[in-house]
Amino acid sequence: MSAVTVTGVGKTFANGTTALVPVTLEIGSGRFVSIVGPSGCGKSTLLRLIAGLTQPTTGTITRPGPLSTGFVFQDATLMPWATVTDNVALPLRLAGMSEGEINQPITEALERVGLSGFALAYPRELSGGMKMRVSIARAIVTGPCLLLMDEPFAALDEFTRFKLNDDLLALWQQNGWTIVFVTHSVREAVFLSERVLVMSPHPGRIIADLPTQLPSSRDAGVRLSHAFADQCADISNRLNEALQQRAAS
Amino acid sequence: MSRAVRMVLPVVFGILLLAAWEILVHVYAVPEYVLPGPSAVAGALWSDGPELLGALAVTLEVTIAALVLAALTGAAIAFLLAQSPTAERTFFPYAVFLQVTPIVTIAPFVIIWVNNIFIVLLILAWVAAVFPIISNTLLGLKSVDTNLRDLFLLYGASRWQVMTRLLAPSTLPYFLGGLRISGGLALIGTVVAEMVAGTSGTSSGLASRLLEASYRLELARALACFALLSATGFVLYLLLDALSRYLLRHWHESARTAES
Ligand SMILES: Nc1ncnc2c1ncn2[C@@H]1O[C@H](COP(=O)(O)OP(=O)(O)OP(=O)(O)O)[C@@H](O)[C@H]1O
Ligand SMILES: [Mg+2]
Repeated sequence: MSAVTVTGVGKTFANGTTALVPVTLEIGSGRFVSIVGPSGCGKSTLLRLIAGLTQPTTGTITRPGPLSTGFVFQDATLMPWATVTDNVALPLRLAGMSEGEINQPITEALERVGLSGFALAYPRELSGGMKMRVSIARAIVTGPCLLLMDEPFAALDEFTRFKLNDDLLALWQQNGWTIVFVTHSVREAVFLSERVLVMSPHPGRIIADLPTQLPSSRDAGVRLSHAFADQCADISNRLNEALQQRAAS
Repeated sequence: MSRAVRMVLPVVFGILLLAAWEILVHVYAVPEYVLPGPSAVAGALWSDGPELLGALAVTLEVTIAALVLAALTGAAIAFLLAQSPTAERTFFPYAVFLQVTPIVTIAPFVIIWVNNIFIVLLILAWVAAVFPIISNTLLGLKSVDTNLRDLFLLYGASRWQVMTRLLAPSTLPYFLGGLRISGGLALIGTVVAEMVAGTSGTSSGLASRLLEASYRLELARALACFALLSATGFVLYLLLDALSRYLLRHWHESARTAES
């Protein structure tokens, strides 16, 4: 069963920029898929199309319903005037749930991202990594089946990023979400996902669709293994080839 | 510099200035109808105090009514202008027009068209005060985080939810910035309007009393009115600043104190 089906989807913006030449793609339910590609190639555009935040110029997309989709932006995108709890509560409140109904899911979401002790803190009292955790808690509080993440950890230092990678992987393994994860880090893509989509430079299209072959129960040790290094090298080579072809043409 | 020293410095400066003024007035034997010393002004303030405070209340009533009206209408106008670029392009020039027109020049017309003196003063003070609120709130409405907008869109928020949960709080700091400026402008507007409208009698405001006293060369009384009006403007600013800090205390950089 597929969670997302993208059929012949292209996007040209009102100013004439073609961000995406028609893309066809199917993402199976429960899969962890990463999208890598050079800056400006249309990764965010593809993700926003899948989320329904912009409309495609051509083609069709099938996706789960609104409350079944969580979106995590590159910066945490929290409401600075609201506490951690109120930020996480937003999707539930917008859906019209009563205050009585929302307590349980909020507590659970905060527990899952390890922020139970910070329910009443304001965003400015949190570190960058903690803000990102709040953002993830907000995305998962509705119990979504699809998580769309747009370079969520790009602004973080390496230690924090590795920690959040490990935690995200554990959450994914426990909850069976479908995750589409945009990153500019090939290593991050290989470490996290079962499948890596490589996009060409602007205007974007998918030039490679590669399964990763790492043990399904990954831990931090995987990052040191030869298999991991080989996969990263393979995907990096494909990206470089694409960039060179583009430079030559 | 310690906090205490920082607070004391301006006060010391003020006392020195007043002392110099008092001494010069006595040394050169300046007549009181040209320039009374601070002690004479304080005397006028003491003897006429109750009456002048009553007049101040009249002025304040107009000022506060105009400020509240400017806050409500200014925010509403900004919200309407933000609905479409066309609306903004069409109507914003008129808001600018309102701002650059000296209220002294509109006053005679308003006085002819409106009978009630309170309403006359209110309109003129409103004209003086409303623009900073419109322009600041509009800027705030246009500066809302686009990712947060997308988030609301993603979860199918209604227009009302977007307005109350996103636009209102993210615009609040800008609105309050406008309000702080408008507080002073509302007072200036009221004072100018009182002087131009030439109200008189027992129900007139403090600016009218100032003008009357100066006509009669009662400069000590006029300066007492002046001191009261200045102090009022200052206090108004402090109050609005405190309100702004209180409302934004948890989250906005502008409300940050050194310790937090
Ligand atoms: N709203 C828009 N209007 C016009 N052009 C846009 C718009 N959004 C994106 N683009 C253009 O579409 C192209 C793809 O942008 P997109 O943000 O999807 O790239 P990206 O792969 O996410 O890049 P990055 O890795 O830097 O985030 C770019 O050339 C960009 O300039
Ligand atoms: Mg992007």
